Amino acid sequence: MNADDDSTGSPDSFHPLGDEWERELEELLEESDYDADLGMEMARDAMEVTKGELSEAEFHERYHDDVMEEFGQDDRPTEAALEELESDAGLDGSVSEALAAFGDDGAVDRREVMKKMGAGAAFLGLGAWATMDETDPSVDAAAAQDDESEDGTQWGMVLDLERCDGCLSCVQACADENQLDSGVNWMYVLDWEDPDEQLDTGRQRLIRPCQHCTDAPCEKVCPTTARHTRASDGLVLTDYDICIGCRYCQVACPYGVNYFQWNEPGVSADALDEDHIYSDRGRPVDSRAPRGVMSKCTFCPSRQDGNMGEEMVGSTACEDACPPNAIQFGDMNDPESAPQQYREDPPLQRARSMASDDDDELQEAIDIIDGEEEPAEDAEDGMTEAEARAMIDDLGGTADSTFKLLEEIGTNPNIVYVGNEPGPNAEQVGGPIQYDELSYENVEEEMVQLADERKDVTDEGTVGEYPL
Amino acid sequence: MSTERPSKEDILRPIQRTSRGYYILLGIATLAFGLFLVGWMYQLSEGMIVTGLSDWGSGGGVTWGLYIGAFIWWVGIAHGGIILSAAVRLLGMERYMPVARLAELLTIAGLSAAGFFIVVHLGRPDRMVTSIIGHYHITVHSSPLVWDVTVITLYLVLTATYLALTLRYDITRLRDDLPNHFEPIYKVMTIGYSEKEDLIVQRMVWWLALAIIILAPLLLHGGVIPWLFALIPSMPGWFGAVQGPQFLTIALTSAISGVILLSYGFRYSYDWQHIIADDVFRGLTLWLGFFSLLFLWLQLQQVVGGTYAAPLDQSTVVSAMISAPIYITSMTLVFLVLVYTFVQAVRPSLFSKKRSVVAAVAVLTATLLEKILFVVEGLMYPTFSIYGAVPGSYWPSLIEFASITGTIGMVTMFFLLVSKVVPVVELHAVEHLQEDHGHERSGDGGAETEVEA
Repeated sequence: MNADDDSTGSPDSFHPLGDEWERELEELLEESDYDADLGMEMARDAMEVTKGELSEAEFHERYHDDVMEEFGQDDRPTEAALEELESDAGLDGSVSEALAAFGDDGAVDRREVMKKMGAGAAFLGLGAWATMDETDPSVDAAAAQDDESEDGTQWGMVLDLERCDGCLSCVQACADENQLDSGVNWMYVLDWEDPDEQLDTGRQRLIRPCQHCTDAPCEKVCPTTARHTRASDGLVLTDYDICIGCRYCQVACPYGVNYFQWNEPGVSADALDEDHIYSDRGRPVDSRAPRGVMSKCTFCPSRQDGNMGEEMVGSTACEDACPPNAIQFGDMNDPESAPQQYREDPPLQRARSMASDDDDELQEAIDIIDGEEEPAEDAEDGMTEAEARAMIDDLGGTADSTFKLLEEIGTNPNIVYVGNEPGPNAEQVGGPIQYDELSYENVEEEMVQLADERKDVTDEGTVGEYPL
Repeated sequence: MSTERPSKEDILRPIQRTSRGYYILLGIATLAFGLFLVGWMYQLSEGMIVTGLSDWGSGGGVTWGLYIGAFIWWVGIAHGGIILSAAVRLLGMERYMPVARLAELLTIAGLSAAGFFIVVHLGRPDRMVTSIIGHYHITVHSSPLVWDVTVITLYLVLTATYLALTLRYDITRLRDDLPNHFEPIYKVMTIGYSEKEDLIVQRMVWWLALAIIILAPLLLHGGVIPWLFALIPSMPGWFGAVQGPQFLTIALTSAISGVILLSYGFRYSYDWQHIIADDVFRGLTLWLGFFSLLFLWLQLQQVVGGTYAAPLDQSTVVSAMISAPIYITSMTLVFLVLVYTFVQAVRPSLFSKKRSVVAAVAVLTATLLEKILFVVEGLMYPTFSIYGAVPGSYWPSLIEFASITGTIGMVTMFFLLVSKVVPVVELHAVEHLQEDHGHERSGDGGAETEVEA
């Protein structure tokens, strides 16, 4: 788990010393006679206090009852005593004292202060455990589960390979949205055949964006933390300002989703919209990469961060562009999200996207399966559930097979496919639309023609070409 | 062994005498290095697009190529210093004492070339320090590339310390015969020297040698360098436990070859037949044969394992590898060297230094080819091979080719320049040889004389 420069802790762990440290503390807490969850919760909030995101008074208020219950006493001041506390930094080991020690130098760089505060908080976090172990209830810090834990957002996709018609609209839309050079196919769609296995049913097609793996090998090997996973929503991104262009992420990615910026990109930095480059943490992670750094499908973080307006949150350019709605983007941790709903009943969702508004019968069937309308008890009274189901399945087909790509490698991808999984012998064959048939107009008003093989493009810059 | 008596004048010869050949060689080396520097400047101005590299996957190329292959090759050659130092200082194989310092210098030069390749390979070399050092405390837990940088740096520092310590003894004693225009360098290098330190330095050097000998095979070329590849499960040509030992054997053959070439070059140029004796070459040739055997044995393991009943992805890459002309050329060269070393061991009359030099060049060619092919083919045959553009294609650009000649030029320049400043044969080695010589002579009445400065 890598941390960005501007966050004092690595994303999944709130502790500035990282995951492992935090786990160790947690284990120690669990060994004590006291409530480990409470301890961790308080520790997390204590970090918030050091960052100034939570006031000390609020912190004390929040945990007063819990601390009383757990330890029978709480020596710390509550809100009522706050004013007194603030004027008196002599309170032993209090958060405010630590903050005063780090915060009084207005001349130092903000980031530096953040770092120091992180270190201070770590010390306090450790102190929290130590004092608890001594059954001393005058706990200075400790902390809390906010909604950004395991159950937080995890952006992902359900891709319906049976619905994809290979039109490459998503590829084009992605290139347009991100101003990608020719051959930089962050989104890639391919048709395949298996010489050893003739499938009787379904399409043989693969949609290949970045898998935004939970255990991303690209992130693990990165020597700089440029490739990182955001704790807030699980996006795997590249910090364009930190990447040194060693290309190890591209080497380690099992899926081949990375595209290096071998030369100066076609669109200059000035021409790009700043809101489409910087994340809400102010890091450059979106749009085409500058020269010499790595790029790949981003799941449109500037949309997810609200830079493009609230209505764009939860959408991607490829999803918006897909005519048959084969791309379902959303929070994989939310059972109500579009992808999870889709995964639950692909025929229903397919029928929904295929049904025309004036097809009342089909709409009724959809509503019945959806649970919005009561089905008839028997056929004479109207549409029964079985009839509705049959109608939906008739239109939407079945979806017996779902899979994750190369799951056995252990990357924990966040893309779920509905459709036929290509076997190890599968080989790409020509699709209905060729990449070079498509193009888009970039912000500098030049036409950019898509290309299938990037090497055809990069070879033009190679010094000394060989007929191989 | 020659009957000529080794003296300190002998080891001062490179410093005091500069032939026409020296200038010609220096000119060629500078030209080769300069050419590459021009190419690199062009690469910096245009971007990595000037190389033959591209994206693997839908892109149809490979993203690592000659630069990374050459990087591994140079780190391998850099091991020469360690083997020789270890042989001399830890295992007491004093026969190699006269070439120990040459070998140590080769470590420094080889590592510098390797480090240079890392920089040349990067898309944004300007960020190397800030991005790597700035996040070191996080990335060192997981990134094999960071482990690499760490161990290489440590290795370089240890070797440089080792050399600096041993040079103090020589420079102090030979100072009167060393050129005055380098006075500031000698002053810095011998700062605070007193004879009392000799014994202490000797002990320190022993411990340093021990540390380096543990570091080099176990952590460097048998460790972090192969782990760059061996830990990637989706590249079956790389993944697996054999790469550690395989890399190490390849490194050791390259290293010994490098030392053979250097020793021959210096002996030839400065008439050092009585210092770097034939025996040294015989011994090095035998070691070369031994490590070539290990090299081929581990290749055999991979070929048999990868063709008998291997998983699909692995058998694909191994079949591609064994049918590649470059692979066949490389293995044939090593095999021929192996045959030569065994034959000359059985029939010593077949040994000649020139033949050993040819064997060394053959091995260095073979290991360079093998290393580049290893990197490229690993990326060409990934597990996820569904893309029409997989396997991709790659042919290095002229700039990439120039990087090989350029770094060879750089290392040559290094030796040419260093040999003008400090003795490349240890004074200890000469003293030692004199003792031997004295013992030999004493039988026929020769007197042992003290020539210690």
